[in-house]
Amino acid sequence: MTTTVYSARRIITMNPNRPFASHVAVRDGRILGAGSLEELKGWGKVDLDTRFADKVILPGFVEGHSHAFEGGVWKFPYVGYFDRTSPEGKCAAGLKSIDEVVAALQAHEKTLPKGTSLLAWGFDPIYFGGRRMGLADVDRISTERPVVIVHSNFHVANANTPVLAKAGITRTTNVHGIVKDAAGEPTGELQEMAAKYMAYRAAGVEIAAVLSDEQAVWRFARVAQLAGVTTATDLHNELPESTVEGYLKATGSDDFPIRLLPAFAATSVPPTDGVARLQALVKKNNDKLRFQLVKIVTDGSIQGLSARMRWPGYYDGTPNGVWNVGPDDIDRILLAYHRAGFQVHIHTNGDEASEVGIEAVERALAAAPRWDHRHTLQHAQMADAGQFRRMKALGICANLFANHLYYWGDIHYARTLGPERAERMDACATALATGVPLAIHCDAPVTPIGPLFTAWCAVNRLTASGRTLGEAEKIPVADALRAITLGAAYTLKLDEELGSIDVGKRADFAILDDDPLSVPPEKLKDVGVWGTVLGGKVFEAPKA
Amino acid sequence: MSEPIPFTVIGGFLGAGKTTLLNRLLGGAEGRRFAVLVNDFGALDIDGGLVAVHGGDTIALANGCLCCTIGDSLVTTLLGLLERPERFDHIVVEASGVADPGRIADLAVLEPRLSRDGVIVVVDAAEVRARATDRRTGDTVLRQLKAADLLVLNKIDLAEELPALRDWLGVQSTAPTLEARHGDVPLDLLFGLDRAGASGHSSPVDAFASWSYQWSEPVERADLLAMLREAPGEVLRAKGIVRFADTPDRRSVVHLVGRRLDISDEGPWGDTAGSRLVMLGLRPVLGSLPRETTT
Repeated sequence: MTTTVYSARRIITMNPNRPFASHVAVRDGRILGAGSLEELKGWGKVDLDTRFADKVILPGFVEGHSHAFEGGVWKFPYVGYFDRTSPEGKCAAGLKSIDEVVAALQAHEKTLPKGTSLLAWGFDPIYFGGRRMGLADVDRISTERPVVIVHSNFHVANANTPVLAKAGITRTTNVHGIVKDAAGEPTGELQEMAAKYMAYRAAGVEIAAVLSDEQAVWRFARVAQLAGVTTATDLHNELPESTVEGYLKATGSDDFPIRLLPAFAATSVPPTDGVARLQALVKKNNDKLRFQLVKIVTDGSIQGLSARMRWPGYYDGTPNGVWNVGPDDIDRILLAYHRAGFQVHIHTNGDEASEVGIEAVERALAAAPRWDHRHTLQHAQMADAGQFRRMKALGICANLFANHLYYWGDIHYARTLGPERAERMDACATALATGVPLAIHCDAPVTPIGPLFTAWCAVNRLTASGRTLGEAEKIPVADALRAITLGAAYTLKLDEELGSIDVGKRADFAILDDDPLSVPPEKLKDVGVWGTVLGGKVFEAPKA
Repeated sequence: MSEPIPFTVIGGFLGAGKTTLLNRLLGGAEGRRFAVLVNDFGALDIDGGLVAVHGGDTIALANGCLCCTIGDSLVTTLLGLLERPERFDHIVVEASGVADPGRIADLAVLEPRLSRDGVIVVVDAAEVRARATDRRTGDTVLRQLKAADLLVLNKIDLAEELPALRDWLGVQSTAPTLEARHGDVPLDLLFGLDRAGASGHSSPVDAFASWSYQWSEPVERADLLAMLREAPGEVLRAKGIVRFADTPDRRSVVHLVGRRLDISDEGPWGDTAGSRLVMLGLRPVLGSLPRETTT
């Protein structure tokens, strides 16, 4: 029985009885105690490990809303505007013009075998001064093989001439989502269902399996670990047998660096079948893989103009969005999983969707009273004070999409929500003031996984253009750090097991180069991550 | 490449009667192999004796039809279906109660292995007007009505003011309406005749008829369009190969489902004998149309 004591410049515990410490003792993968070396020696013989002596130790970060699909897409080249860290720890440099994207993909194209398709992801034209990518641009990459460039929102794509020709798309094709230029010719930009269909067509239907196989989940775990994450969700998965097998194999390895919580996609099978399936999956849980979550998607996205909004709707007059699971169908699904004792995470972007989610939980509780259910609204970006009060009264948690403030805040201000609602979106301060259990998230791969960046967003509320979006909804750094550790763990019912550095909890740590409580709040996102500790095992992040 | 498979989408709000309609389809397929993509097997009323193979997310029926659950992604389910070795005569998708069925039908335009047939929206005569004013779902209902090529006004026995409802529907949608109880509508009107141009279904109801037209000489485009359009809501389907006078060396495929008329070019006319068009509709209207023209 070995006991290791790590010394640190500072340990931030999230345990209010002892918020800071200089040493933490680990035995059998669990936390024996945090305090002074003298105090910890009381447990008997200890090995002192000083490798973190100049580091700052926090509870391992908990990402409450991400997708293992992040690991899937890294199989393909990233062509986004912002720098992004790859699973290997390398910085994939942001591409700052359409020409840069084309040049990068021309080089990549030469490495591909004949007869295959070229897929890329993360493209984001909103920063290119209004210029859109056109057919001529994509054709410069290849006019032989199909080329599909998926945008960062995963709802839009650009294709080349071979892709359009194969589908017979011409100026006379009258299909929603096929963008045409002023002269009526298709530009190669495809939206929504058309984009998804053509991407799958070009890539082959087997791509779905590739995107969530064992290798994909490894890549996802590595990307997460590089950001200091020790527990992450895969918050919407049909969980076919091949995926479950891959997850079991990956998490069975000592080297797998995170704890993974997949959320079962509730609409993938009828609820009675789904409950039985999830009950069977729970029996396969291990230390690093936890089946217990369910996901219901009600509406679309705000930036995709598909969120369901209450009156007065979109600022620019766009008609209201679309339902995936509508108000008339949600009870049937929610109640089945609620009765079976599962925790349900409900995707609600617009405020009408949040209202539907809240009222569905209210009815489920009336039909089947249940304490400490912790059903969680995911995103809840437009929830207002009244909705937070209802959430508090019903025991609903909120996981807010803080990263949106930075990546789409300017568009929300100018176009989708308008100034007033944009300034109160992702209302972290209101949630905390109301007493709603709070987590904040990245929704990777929609935005990169990085809890310190997510916390920075909640603290500073800066948009990409530098606008402060809602002074009143800023939260202190300490609260933001809690939201990415113990707060997120609470929304996953893991707070008794992890999320703080406290006796008996799992020895899951984020090892930081600097003290997030001492750096200026606007530098929070720049604090370096040395690596993590998971169940007492040290995972050093490769240096870029 | 083999001939594209007709692709039909059945939309309509929860409880309108989509499943009843699908049950009628599967029970009355009579030799045509339908692949039906549904949200939930549980709702289907499949006779145990009809099931040949139950494979988790598919059920193969002894009559050659196949049911698939859509699961989480219609796109991947549909692509998976097209990769199967079996050939189907018709693919039918049951849209979810809140989906826009027109958007789903677009998939058939993008997919060369499919040909877009029709968007059929089933309407609950007793509920639709209340649904259409609901704060949260009214816009979804109205979008569905606008997307329809053909409306099935179901449960008319439960409607309180049928004439007013008909007027209201006429404002919401330009699609012709078939009125029904318990989803009982002639399947040929919804899904067309088989490739041989014959009805697979016995005992057509009295009011419904199919008429076959043949022309040996090229047809004036305007005349044909006028014939199809002057009977709005009455000629419910038409399909044929026509040699138009303005393009006498081309084969034009004429395809009408409800309010939607597609005329596409299918290559050189070749040595086909003459134009041929089969129309399905309501007997009184067809009876008044010229049976044959020789311009």
